[in-house]
Amino acid sequence: MSVSLKKAGVAAAAALALTLSACGGAGQSSSSSAPSGESTGELTGTLEVFSWWTSGSEADALKVFEDAFTKAAPGVTYKNAAVSGGGGSNARTVLATRLQAGNPPDSWQLHPDKDLASAVEDGSVADVTALYQQNGWEAKMPESLKKMLQVDGKYYAVPTNAHRGNVLWTNPDVLKKAGVSWTDSTTIDQFITDLPTVKSKGGVDPICLGAKDPFAPAQLLEVIIMANVGADGWNQLMTGQLAFDDAKVTKAVEQFKTVLDYTNSDASVQSWDQAALNMANGKCGATLMGDWAFGEMTNKGKKDGTDFGHVTFPGTSELFDFVGDAFAIPAENAPNPAAEQVWLTQLLTPEAQSEFNLKKGSAPVISDADTSNYPAYLKAAAKDFQSKTIISSLAHSEAAPAEFASTYSDAVTSFLGSKDVAAFTKTMADAQKNQLG
Amino acid sequence: MSTTTNTAVGAPQVAPTGPSSPGTTIKSKHRTRFRGAAWFMAPSILLTFIFVYGFIGFSAWISLSKWRRPTRSDLGLRTPFGATYAEMFGEQRFQASMRNIIVFTILFLLVSVIGGLLLALMVHRVTIAKGLFRSVFLLPYALSFIVTGVAFRWIFNPTTGINTWLKAIGIDNPPGWSTSTQILGGIKVPGLAAELGIPLALLPIVIAAAWQLTGFAMAMYLAGLSGIPEEELEASSMDGANGFQQLRHIVLPQLWPTTVTCLVLLLHTSLKIFDLVVAMSGSGPGFVTDVPGIYVYDMMGRANRYDKGTAASIVLLITACIFVVPYLARSYRNERKH
Repeated sequence: MSVSLKKAGVAAAAALALTLSACGGAGQSSSSSAPSGESTGELTGTLEVFSWWTSGSEADALKVFEDAFTKAAPGVTYKNAAVSGGGGSNARTVLATRLQAGNPPDSWQLHPDKDLASAVEDGSVADVTALYQQNGWEAKMPESLKKMLQVDGKYYAVPTNAHRGNVLWTNPDVLKKAGVSWTDSTTIDQFITDLPTVKSKGGVDPICLGAKDPFAPAQLLEVIIMANVGADGWNQLMTGQLAFDDAKVTKAVEQFKTVLDYTNSDASVQSWDQAALNMANGKCGATLMGDWAFGEMTNKGKKDGTDFGHVTFPGTSELFDFVGDAFAIPAENAPNPAAEQVWLTQLLTPEAQSEFNLKKGSAPVISDADTSNYPAYLKAAAKDFQSKTIISSLAHSEAAPAEFASTYSDAVTSFLGSKDVAAFTKTMADAQKNQLG
Repeated sequence: MSTTTNTAVGAPQVAPTGPSSPGTTIKSKHRTRFRGAAWFMAPSILLTFIFVYGFIGFSAWISLSKWRRPTRSDLGLRTPFGATYAEMFGEQRFQASMRNIIVFTILFLLVSVIGGLLLALMVHRVTIAKGLFRSVFLLPYALSFIVTGVAFRWIFNPTTGINTWLKAIGIDNPPGWSTSTQILGGIKVPGLAAELGIPLALLPIVIAAAWQLTGFAMAMYLAGLSGIPEEELEASSMDGANGFQQLRHIVLPQLWPTTVTCLVLLLHTSLKIFDLVVAMSGSGPGFVTDVPGIYVYDMMGRANRYDKGTAASIVLLITACIFVVPYLARSYRNERKH
């Protein structure tokens, strides 16, 4: 979820979806397996797509899907019902009201994993397993991604893109001056030991942090915990099998505390994108951010390799901290079921995947999407998505239900003030008992 | 045009003479008039009851219920009774946001009301370009809190803003303003997770809010000042009162109703403050600038906790009522007296 939190206005977009006369439910199976380009002209009506993709590059990327859909179903009017603001929380509020009123859009954006699981539990999203079988998507997706789209062996959503959360963006000049070199094999302990050196020899704050967006410090702690407990440990933390007051997690929180001592003093009034640009401008040695920062920096004219570099966050080189999106269709009161099937099918064609993710700055979720014209970083990320262990992000409300994710985010914010490790681990361990399961 | 008006006006004049048969007392006439008024009022009273009090009641119910996820309304009562409130009051975040809103309200009201009064006294006395001064001080009121918030975020940025001036005049360690986690006069109360005191990070927000609304207070005081008869001031100066004595014994007592109105109007701005804080600092490290408005928004929109979000808004409503209800009761009593 590439978040552009600059504007916090709510664009009222909830117009009544046109009620449609069902135009031949039989059109479903034949049209959904149709390759892109083949026209399914018998479909009519409207397709309303609900998302929080409203910023420039996001809206451009969404247009790719729109074009693919209108080409496949020229008789259907595509309607973009995106709601901006709050990193998706405004959109979610509008969506919740519409779902409650029995007036769902044709398709809406959500996060895979526990966010999707909550929607399945609510009974609001439809089973789309048939689409997976007809289109052979399973063979093209990494195993761990597939699990995040399923509940009890059935698929309920179609993924669109994969952002990586555990990327350390570095400033080559600062690190060179400090005589520090961070690579994919650097351990988390080594990284912590290097911070004072970067400060003394590099002469700047080692880490840029934009804590005005609460997810940024939450994501930083998240990857430090991942580096300490590994993929299995992380998944156990999210189910409550591993307690948050375990020694390994406590050590990670202590390390986070150390890292905070080496961040910019104005972190709490900086946003994540300012932090990334400050890093590229040489105001600090590195910043931890999802790879939406890549697009942000290159759009501002920064060059990969000269202005900034990147490594996976120390200790997490075998992991892919997954921040992604998916689309689902309504289980009940579906306005245009046949068109919805076509829409979901068009999201995962190799052409649409390739073009969409280039614009979005993320990795395609299927293995046969062409990435030959991608920038080097993105090419590597796409390859890693297919080969590394995928675990989902808590800071972006994927790895756990919204309440637990929000408790985590609040606990991190409290911690930024108190620096009290014991209070943090206790709050989270209590939340594991009360909110998970 | 004129004929229709005439008949319309004429109609009520004729109507009362009709039923005024022997036996109709003044009291019953009064009652008929009252009944007519009641019919006119009925729709708005009904709507108010449904859309204001009905919904407040519904919110109060939700705050006691098990409703968490927006898509899954569960209106069964949560046990033990009021558990959501207990959970909320135990949170460091909620305690901090209540502390912040109380500190913010007191400081903000003090600064805006005193500032507004001083400005009004000056502008009232000024002889040239009075209109200009009046507009200049009222202009910030025309901005939205988001604009004010962004501007003051830059001003109070610890590395680029006002601190560069402070450093220039020799203050080596200027405060971190919105980034500071310092609590002035902080006391740790056993049993409370949040430290009590005045969070330093709140001061820039108080200054920004006061900057925007002092002009509003000034405009109210100017109206109050123009209501004070010149003769009283002239008479008092004949009796030898100096400027301060006039202010103390003639002007200020007559401005008291203005002050009360001003306080109540600014209070509701203060209690529901949201956008200014979001634009300036968000919740801040350790929730030093969190306010109930942001808390409610996060609980409803992000945490899937409808029960907790409404519980916080009920607490906010009660806080507002503690101040507003006595004011309304007093003005209602005054109205009846006259």
